[in-house]
Amino acid sequence: MELLLAQAADFKPYGNWMPPDLSVHGEKIDQLINITHYFMGVLFVAWGIFFAYCVVRFRAKSGGSAQYHPVKGKASKYAEVGIAIFEAVLLLGFSMPVWGEYKNNPPAKSDRIEVRAIGEQFQWNFHYPGKDGIFGRTSAKFIDAVSNTIGLDPNDENGKDDIQTIGELHLPVDKWIYVRITSKDVIHSFAIPTMRVKQDAIPGMEVPVWFKIKPAATTENLIKSMREDFATAKSDWYRLRHHVATKSYQDKSGQTILAEGEGIGFSRDLGEKKLVQLRKAGIETISMRPANPLEVICAQLCGNSHFKMKAQLFTYDDAGYEAWKKSTIPEVIEDF
Amino acid sequence: MSDTSHELPFWKKYIFSVDHKVIGIQYTITALLFLAFGFFLMLVMRYQLAYPNQPLPGVFASVLGEPVIGEVVVNEATGEKGKVLTGDGYNAFGAMHGTIMVFLAIVPLAVGGFGNFVLPLQCGAPDMAFPRLNMASYWMYLPGGILMLFGFFVKGGAANSGWTSYPPLSTIATTGQTIWLLGMVVLITSSLLGSVNFIVTVVQLRVKGLSFFRLPFFVWAQLVTAFLLLLAFPPLEAAGILQLMDRVADTSFFDPGGLIISGVERNTAGGGSPLLWQHLFWFLAHPEVYVLILPGLGIIAEVIANNTRKPLWGYKSLVYSAIFLGFMSFIVWAHHMFMTGMGTTLSTFFQATTMIISVPSVIILTCLIISLWGAKIRFTTPMLFALSFLPMFAIGGLTGLPLGLTAADIHLHDTYYVIGHFHYVVAPGTIFAMFAGVYYWFPKASGRRMNEWLGRIHWFFSFIFINAIFMPFFFMGMAGVLRRQFDQTETLHGAAVQGLSVMATWAAIGLAVAQLPFVINFFWSMFAGERVGQNPWNATTLEWSAPSPPPHGNFDTVPVVARGPYEYSVPGEKDDFSMQATA
Amino acid sequence: MSATVIPYDVKPHPLTGMYNGKFGIWLFLASEIMLFGALFSTYVLLRVGAPDGTWPIIGAETTRGDQILNVGLAALNTAFLITSSVTMVLAWANLKMGDFKKGQTMLLVTVALAGAFLVVKYFEYSSKLHHYAVTFDEHFERDGVESRTFKASTDNGDRTIHYLWGHVEETKKDSEGTILGYVFAPDPEPGHEGAEHKKVEIQKSEIARLTTWGPEGSSFLGCYFVITGLHGLHIVGGIVVMLWFVLTGSKMWKSQPDKYANRIECTGLYWHFVDLVWIFLFPVLYLL
Repeated sequence: MELLLAQAADFKPYGNWMPPDLSVHGEKIDQLINITHYFMGVLFVAWGIFFAYCVVRFRAKSGGSAQYHPVKGKASKYAEVGIAIFEAVLLLGFSMPVWGEYKNNPPAKSDRIEVRAIGEQFQWNFHYPGKDGIFGRTSAKFIDAVSNTIGLDPNDENGKDDIQTIGELHLPVDKWIYVRITSKDVIHSFAIPTMRVKQDAIPGMEVPVWFKIKPAATTENLIKSMREDFATAKSDWYRLRHHVATKSYQDKSGQTILAEGEGIGFSRDLGEKKLVQLRKAGIETISMRPANPLEVICAQLCGNSHFKMKAQLFTYDDAGYEAWKKSTIPEVIEDF
Repeated sequence: MSDTSHELPFWKKYIFSVDHKVIGIQYTITALLFLAFGFFLMLVMRYQLAYPNQPLPGVFASVLGEPVIGEVVVNEATGEKGKVLTGDGYNAFGAMHGTIMVFLAIVPLAVGGFGNFVLPLQCGAPDMAFPRLNMASYWMYLPGGILMLFGFFVKGGAANSGWTSYPPLSTIATTGQTIWLLGMVVLITSSLLGSVNFIVTVVQLRVKGLSFFRLPFFVWAQLVTAFLLLLAFPPLEAAGILQLMDRVADTSFFDPGGLIISGVERNTAGGGSPLLWQHLFWFLAHPEVYVLILPGLGIIAEVIANNTRKPLWGYKSLVYSAIFLGFMSFIVWAHHMFMTGMGTTLSTFFQATTMIISVPSVIILTCLIISLWGAKIRFTTPMLFALSFLPMFAIGGLTGLPLGLTAADIHLHDTYYVIGHFHYVVAPGTIFAMFAGVYYWFPKASGRRMNEWLGRIHWFFSFIFINAIFMPFFFMGMAGVLRRQFDQTETLHGAAVQGLSVMATWAAIGLAVAQLPFVINFFWSMFAGERVGQNPWNATTLEWSAPSPPPHGNFDTVPVVARGPYEYSVPGEKDDFSMQATA
Repeated sequence: MSATVIPYDVKPHPLTGMYNGKFGIWLFLASEIMLFGALFSTYVLLRVGAPDGTWPIIGAETTRGDQILNVGLAALNTAFLITSSVTMVLAWANLKMGDFKKGQTMLLVTVALAGAFLVVKYFEYSSKLHHYAVTFDEHFERDGVESRTFKASTDNGDRTIHYLWGHVEETKKDSEGTILGYVFAPDPEPGHEGAEHKKVEIQKSEIARLTTWGPEGSSFLGCYFVITGLHGLHIVGGIVVMLWFVLTGSKMWKSQPDKYANRIECTGLYWHFVDLVWIFLFPVLYLL
């Protein structure tokens, strides 16, 4: 089925409805959600109209009495059967095929980029197999909290070219991505809202998900096309901490308070100071965009910093992906 | 020997009473107190969610302490500090809010409160089949509840792994989790004793002429609920024991082995499965949600019949749907586990059963709405709650649909959409039904009416605010905001809809204030409300044939039944209601 | 005395054919079936998912429970329980026929048999809790003692387990109380039970895991202790109730003999259920 590929210009940043959909299979999921909601709306309005009519028409008035004998009519039976049929259609015609595709037909090994995602309290670790395409063995005894969070075995030849990252997932667009998901400690959940991907990360199990990112959805394109997210200088610095300015702002003497691409700052100190400076310079609104538009989050309660457990997702076109691969130096694990 | 020659001492009459009415009132008041406390926990959480990392208002900060409260610097210049909820504190409040609402508030109120008080009366019985067992079940519920709350005072605070307590998180959690598990064992036992009592009472103690299909729908709802409690709770009891063992005896029922917690490998036998807990837990917890709604549906049915002055439409459909719903509720549980990695065969089965179970719910709602046709509607306070229940329950039920379809669930699982869905069913759903029940049966229990105007004010503002809290949640969920997030602005999509979160918080505060007329009304009316006779609502079911309040033994003369429960506006009759008791 | 008279307290109800208490007990037993059913399901799930060489305990050759459990003692316990069910019925029958003394005596005999069951269980548990399994990272050899080897096949290739079963004679600690090692007496090789008892010192650093054959020993042992433990608690509960009736029965017998006999009948139903659970338990845990 020919799928329409969204233009980068279609990327609207997050708002009061579904996040932008940047994956190939996401459209069908969105379609199912939309159809289901139309169905729900129809039912609710139908019930609501009948209900409102009754409440108004059959108010107690002096004189007259209620109707003892039940109102006859097949309408409710037909409605009931109709509802059941529609639900069957939703189930068999939409949900099952989409779910089946999501779960049953992994792309061929030669046709996919593999990466392992290992959740732990409170970060995502990623493990790439490197040039040889084979993951090195891992074991708990080699784990180091800084340099070797996944416990890559230094004695395994296959692991010598493996790449590890903490909190950063780098993926190419327009290629099948196959993520093997597991956890070191408690149940986490690997979720990328913009890719309509969600899978529990369960210790002791490795569960795969696969998806393909739309070709136009490189991080570079997204940043370029991102519509500005206006914030006022009275805004809570806390809400702006993951955003950067889309243009530069100067004070009355021409000094730059906030440069393009600069953020408000992660600490309350700096953040509030900057906002105060802007207000002093008479700047009431500033235009900002998310610093990095794509995130991998954790969708299963995993402890007190569950809400902070996220990784940055960077997407590249072919050239960009190659460049990234070259720039990574596989973690050198030295035997001292 | 007559009843009055045996005046019981105070402690036997009001504390360790075996009278189902006293026990019902004990359950009701205890449950309402727990409800208020659960609501308080949520208010603190809501404040934190709307104003992350900002100091809590003084009233909260003074009441709460370590470890739920941490410090944040408020003024850089002066170094002034303020108190905020910590991440652990937020999770503890969240887990306890869920636990308290489900196990200590709603079920004890719906089943222990209303069930105990009304059921024997509607069956024409002098009391429950096992009065002393009834007393025992209350006196396990109260200590069990107190034990649960005790978790807040131990080192590490209360349980903080969600009301769902998934291992391995719950296995490695602090002592509060052990207390939660022990509390659950006590509460489950209490529930078990109660459910046996209800079933035997309904089957064996109905008066002459009260056949099964002449029972009020409320009784049917309680009967199905009792079966759900009887059969669905034991697997959770088993699971609770297994998790206790994992926590204190180092077993590995839910531990696959090789877990690395904060860099240290946990040295256990391994071989266990975290999913085993989920299966055992949800095997109970899904029927549990029907336990949460069925008694409410029963109350709504009674109030609607009474205030429409006509029989319910589709009584038989209502009964068969309730029974079918109860049966189906045992085979849908894994729809809570779609994202665990289950294959298409298993998920297809559970998707199908989930779709099927929506049918009886739709039938019940439709029957109740059609019951309004040809009615003569009295807008009494109970009826206001009952009427508003209907569209709210519709929203709650309908929003279950995208969650039950696995493909849609990929996006919506563990988001605020889920929170919106179940809160709509339980909050403007069940809790409104509970309020309807209180206003409806208060005169029977106390011999006095509650004030109508305070009731209407209570209803109106509760209705507005409760929608204002939960409607935004669907939008937040669609936007991708996840559940159990101490600070949703940490993610970009969460930050984008922070405004909805602020709205929900202020609506919650409004809802809290809106309960004041109810509290005032409840207590004031007990002592100074307008006195009423046996049947102030001109209702038909058997409880209205007893004095208000009924004495020990309930009926002056044992009623004999010759009609159905909703013989209102019978053509040719003088009154627009014909009581079920003919003798 | 309560002034309200509950109908069908003693007389059976026309629809169910049972008096209230009997119906109630049957419902309670239905919930008990769900309780033990959940635990049996747990057993099945964990056994099916157990990695090679870990069920019923690390290093076991087959998955049968009789490698580490004493079938003889369990068979004796089975005899005790079945007999106690018979004496339970006799107690009720005697009461129904009006013979209070014989009825109460039979009740006491039932209690005695239940007590005997618990005594045997005590010995079973005790021996488990004093028995140990130790696994090593690599092959262990010292003072003529060698660790046994089990090769398990897994998805990631073969895995060799080095282990020993035996008893801890002594725990060696330093001045601060930190454990340094153990003096371990390994079980004699199968077939060589008469061989001399060897002892060996094992350093803590050489041990991957040391555990008793208690519930933490393996997932099988966890299941074993929880299921038999919960069953044991049910036996204790039954004993408490029966003793209560033995001690206070005469009062109700004088005023309401029918009701008293009914109570014993209900207790009997409960007791038969407890017996039935054991009859499932015994083959599943010990023989299969």
